[in-house]
Amino acid sequence: MSLMKCCFDTPEVSDIFESMVQKCTDPGCCCGCCSALRPRYKRFVDNIFPINPQDGLVKLNMEKLTFYSLSSPEKLDRIGEYLFQKAARDIYRRRYGFVIIAMEAMDQLLVACHAQTLNLFVESFLKMVQKLLESTEPQLQILATQSFVRFANIEEDTPSYHRRYDFFVSKFSAMCHSNEYGEARDKIRLAGIRGLQAVVRKTVSDDLVENIWEPVHMDKIVPSLLYNMQDSAFYLKESYNTDIAPEDQIDSPLLAETCMRELVGRASFGHIRAVLKPVLRHFDLHKLWVPNQFAIHIFRVIMLSIQAQYSYTVVETLMAHLDENSKSSPTIRTSIADVLSKIIAIAAGESVGPSVLEIINSLLSHLRDSVRHGINQKDEKQYQEALINALGEFANHLPDYQKIEIMMFIMSKIPFPLVDNNTPADNLLQSILLKSLLKVGTKYQTIHLNSTFPVSFLEPLLRMSLAPDPDMRLLVQKILHTLIDRHSNLEQLIKPTVNSAALALTLETSSRPDLIFINKHGAMIYDALYTSLQMNTNTIENIEAIYTTLALLCVELASAETIIDLLQLVLGIQNLALTSADLPTPQKFNLHAIVASLFVLISTIANITPLSEYASKIVKARKKEAPHLLPDLLSIYPPKAELANKLPHLVIDQMAVCEYLKSSGFDSTRLMQTSPYGAGRLGVTSGTHRHSWVETGARGSIIEIPATQEVDSASSSPGVQKKLPEEELTFESMKRVLTEPPEIRKEAEAEKREQLSHIFHTATFEELKCRTQPKHDLLQNKLNEIFKSLSTSEVHQSPLQLDKKHSVPVYEQNFPELFLY
Amino acid sequence: MEDFKFLFKVVLVGNAGVGKTCLVRRFTQGLFPPGQGATIGVDFMIKTVEVDNEKVKLQIWDTAGQERFRSITQSYYRSAHALILVYDISCQPTFDCLPDWLREIEEYASSKVLRILVGNKIDREDREIPTFVGEDFAARHNMYFLETSAKEAENVEKLFMKIAEDLMQQARNKDLSRYECSTTNITARTSSVNDSSCCSKLT
Repeated sequence: MSLMKCCFDTPEVSDIFESMVQKCTDPGCCCGCCSALRPRYKRFVDNIFPINPQDGLVKLNMEKLTFYSLSSPEKLDRIGEYLFQKAARDIYRRRYGFVIIAMEAMDQLLVACHAQTLNLFVESFLKMVQKLLESTEPQLQILATQSFVRFANIEEDTPSYHRRYDFFVSKFSAMCHSNEYGEARDKIRLAGIRGLQAVVRKTVSDDLVENIWEPVHMDKIVPSLLYNMQDSAFYLKESYNTDIAPEDQIDSPLLAETCMRELVGRASFGHIRAVLKPVLRHFDLHKLWVPNQFAIHIFRVIMLSIQAQYSYTVVETLMAHLDENSKSSPTIRTSIADVLSKIIAIAAGESVGPSVLEIINSLLSHLRDSVRHGINQKDEKQYQEALINALGEFANHLPDYQKIEIMMFIMSKIPFPLVDNNTPADNLLQSILLKSLLKVGTKYQTIHLNSTFPVSFLEPLLRMSLAPDPDMRLLVQKILHTLIDRHSNLEQLIKPTVNSAALALTLETSSRPDLIFINKHGAMIYDALYTSLQMNTNTIENIEAIYTTLALLCVELASAETIIDLLQLVLGIQNLALTSADLPTPQKFNLHAIVASLFVLISTIANITPLSEYASKIVKARKKEAPHLLPDLLSIYPPKAELANKLPHLVIDQMAVCEYLKSSGFDSTRLMQTSPYGAGRLGVTSGTHRHSWVETGARGSIIEIPATQEVDSASSSPGVQKKLPEEELTFESMKRVLTEPPEIRKEAEAEKREQLSHIFHTATFEELKCRTQPKHDLLQNKLNEIFKSLSTSEVHQSPLQLDKKHSVPVYEQNFPELFLY
Repeated sequence: MEDFKFLFKVVLVGNAGVGKTCLVRRFTQGLFPPGQGATIGVDFMIKTVEVDNEKVKLQIWDTAGQERFRSITQSYYRSAHALILVYDISCQPTFDCLPDWLREIEEYASSKVLRILVGNKIDREDREIPTFVGEDFAARHNMYFLETSAKEAENVEKLFMKIAEDLMQQARNKDLSRYECSTTNITARTSSVNDSSCCSKLT
């Protein structure tokens, strides 16, 4: 045989023989001599197979084959084809030992040969892999996967446009769901994941081959990975030490997770959705939202591995999914919202610009929908909680300036006006939005009060603090607490106490901007607080909350000027407690109690010794004679508790306060002057019910403009019948407003609006100017008129009606341009 | 030895427990697995048959009927050449679901896909859906119809052969021969190797 070999060694000769063999139709005729007559590469290939498959690859001959294929790379494709055919035949005959050897040989050739010559060989290699994958033998499938992984790690420099991987994706995905029994199943599933990982690695970096991001593939890959992760309890473990396990001991959930991370990490913006859609679908179908640990885990994985700039897409997609699920049970929605709240923080760091408000807006609209649809269900409540949490989480991770923006944004979403004939849904929505506001507020760290409270935020907030619903007022106070408190004094000041020296308060001299702020807006704030103390629906909690707000203001903004203002307010409150006609007695006691507490607190903080002494004297006296005028606040007082009016010596005396202040070098003239709270007009009942906005307006604060707007915009509009009957702010008219069916009012309003716009559409500018000119004087007159009518009529008005009054002229704001004049 | 001329992908769908896996097993392995559990996700089998002296390779994707796997199973519809929609003749609900399945097929499969309606388990005594009802339904929706028994091996071979023939006919007509021979094409050069291998069987 060796003789034959050397004789016919040249390829040309062997080709001749080959053609001879072709003509030979009887397979048996030339069997003896074939091995000598075949082409050389075939002989090399044949020689690597041992007689007995258990012996494994013949190493020496394999080296020869490798050397041969390196030296004549043009033969490589034929070698591959030949090996494949041999293996295919062996599979058919179930001689798996030889198949394994063939595969091993191919692996070695693949690794050994240079990239540029591989292209054609790879075709047979992949055919071989496919062939093995098609067999039902688990062992071969696993072997094939290993080879495929090896192949995927090779860098090919020639692109192959026609190569397709859809079979591999399909098959590997099927393997991930292996239906085998016993140990083989886990192995096959693991192999399936490895295979998918390899496909992804191979294709993701190469634009020229198949687009792995097509939904066809992603719909297979993603559920397969998830399916392998969801079965194990491993995701319940807290630790994320993925890099510890060595490659070969890795279990399928872990590997699937690694693969998932890789996939998500490589996804570009356009592809994220292709990954997320099957994820959401999978959760829906496998009912994995409730309980949601797995969902949280997966979404965390996604958020942590996604390229940061795309992370908000995940939030958006999840939000959209919430939309799609608007019909499903509240528990599912709660779970989704919960997942959202868990991952939203990760997104917050990266989202900028409009996407932030978009997310907030979407959350709010979900809240609104939820409020609209289910008012009293417990599940629905939980859902709302979850949404608010998500909101809070999100806000928590935004920079501070954006938090203010968000608070203002939420504020703008709160339905106005706050009248008491609102639908329950409206009320609920208001309180829910306030809750979200509070949530955001608690995450916010105030530095300068004037940046925390822009007028456009402060004003509606204060207006909200006069809402008819006590719970809502409480919420507003809480928002104020969290925003005002900068030195964590909230804890100490939550309950009124007369022992303020014992409180470990953190004090700091207030900065100039803060003082400017309080000078500018203090009046408005005090006034709102004062007015809200007049509400007879106040609970103890409300009153305490207002105390806390005042105390915090006092602590944060202690200065000579604010002290006077605060004292003025305190005296005003005392006055209210003494004179008010419609506050129930326990509330009056409560007011006295907080007056005492505040008085002590103020004198302590301002460090005015005579005042402190005076305060402690009063406290001592009250302790002895009238403990009901001191904290703690109670809702029911012992029947023998006497009204403070009858105990004048226990009441803080304005004159005395002035004296002490003067003696300490404070300018107490302001305190002496007529107080806006009626302190100077002791016993004048009209002082207790004032229209706060008009009042503050008169005091020249910044909100003068909105105040006039509301009261007078229609009357300053030219050429219209100056006022409708509804606008006469008398008691009768107010009563009418309340009793009249709203339709009539609306009609009148609409008519008037039409008239107005008609005039402004048709009249010339000059005409308009003439018409408006004289109104400036009229405006003043009108204002005065209103003030007068207020002071006469409002005695009989409850605060609720006052709110009503606000509500009437809202439509007038449709024409803000009228105020350009 | 790339020994087939045509490659067709066949996907089986239908409610859980109608016998999809058993049909496939019967056809590919010639056995009836008695205690066959529910399929998870997708299972894959291959079988080469001969039609008109041509070898035809059938890639059979056997999908899970359970709803929770719907996302993964649907992704296999698209590349299918033929879809076998199976119901259980002794179980009315499996028949009632057929319109839903058709809707899914409309949505996810290609429009040219060959659709076959199969009523399985005709070996059972407690038939609930008479043959003509199934026939009717199939006719209305432009599908082939066949009743089979995986247990008794009745009509199973016929079912797949029919599919193979039909698809081959289709492929010939459209001249789509060997379309999507998934990974590779046989080049002219390698086919010469094919021819010379007559003796290699002995090695």
